[in-house]
Amino acid sequence: MDYVGSRFPDFGPPGPPGRELTSAKIVVAGGFGVGKSTFIRSIVENDLLTMTALPPERAGLVTELVRIQFGRVWLDPGLALHLFVAPQWQDPRAGWNDVVRGAVGAVVLFDVMRPADSVDAMRYFEDHKIPYVLALNNVHASVRSDVKAIIRGMGIAPEVPVVNCDPRVRLSVRETLITLTEHAKLDRWRRRPGPDETTPLAPVC
Amino acid sequence: MSSAADAHRRRRRGESPAEQTFADLMNGFSLDSGRKRTRSESPVPAREATPVAEQQETPVFETPVPELSDASIVRAYAWTGGRTRSNINLEIETLVSANDQSRQSAGILQAEHQHVVELCRSPRSVAEVAALMRLPLGVVKVLLGDMAERGLVDVHQTASAGGVTPDLGLMERVLSGLRRL
Repeated sequence: MDYVGSRFPDFGPPGPPGRELTSAKIVVAGGFGVGKSTFIRSIVENDLLTMTALPPERAGLVTELVRIQFGRVWLDPGLALHLFVAPQWQDPRAGWNDVVRGAVGAVVLFDVMRPADSVDAMRYFEDHKIPYVLALNNVHASVRSDVKAIIRGMGIAPEVPVVNCDPRVRLSVRETLITLTEHAKLDRWRRRPGPDETTPLAPVC
Repeated sequence: MSSAADAHRRRRRGESPAEQTFADLMNGFSLDSGRKRTRSESPVPAREATPVAEQQETPVFETPVPELSDASIVRAYAWTGGRTRSNINLEIETLVSANDQSRQSAGILQAEHQHVVELCRSPRSVAEVAALMRLPLGVVKVLLGDMAERGLVDVHQTASAGGVTPDLGLMERVLSGLRRL
């Protein structure tokens, strides 16, 4: 039912040559098995791809590749949105920086049965001022408000949106991504350089 | 300065030059022994001074579609001349596409460039090229950087190129795109 009328208006690899193309990305983080891949699979057209990165200096272990899953969807004929599963380790050498740098923002999937698994990712995004939303998976409707109160009590910034999300449901994923992007936009607006910063007092010559 | 001290300092800074160490290691013992000997005779500080300088002709290997094995990674680093950095700023989501020049050059390109050109007939991101060619990200960045410098692929810069956050215009576009999904 979720798909009625709007299944994959993917614009496909488009465009006459010379068309202006650009891309954006969103990071999906959270603990192991919380539904990161499912979340992405619900919104992108094709199955996920897996990119590898080499973690260097691991005692010469060549075969220990970091695998990073991702999907892509064309949002309009010139804009490709990529969704990356954040690597489990927040290690620049494990490809983490490549994934996070320049992202619109991040979705932290949060299993209320295993909250600790997602805390590292939340801390990281808080510390690095990357806009994120907390998407609660596995929430029974009757406990929802309690859960939200507890999460607020964990000390995340009050402006961080907390939403419910079923990673298997396309509409739910879409809503989460919209909430994130709106939040990121607001965040960006708030952080725009103020008049003080844009008019430096540096001498002209 | 001893290179060991340099390497140590770089590691302290937590930057990717660690990759170079790995690549050099791999190139060191990977290929046939004759090549290895000639490489080890060349002065070591060369890579310190100009890590992205043009080196000798990149060797071409027979297998056009590499598999993800130790050997193919070694081969991949040989393609890049052991380099792990590119002159062109490529994010993982940056789109690249084949252009007229690469289409006309079809048939005379080296195998891995040919493969990239075929993949990029429709625009692909760096991450997609890496995934579809089954090559490590670092290798693909260098490969695509080389091809871009030679004019074989067009690079469509992302709005976040250089690490800054995407601008409001792009976010607005993402938002309206998501709403249409």
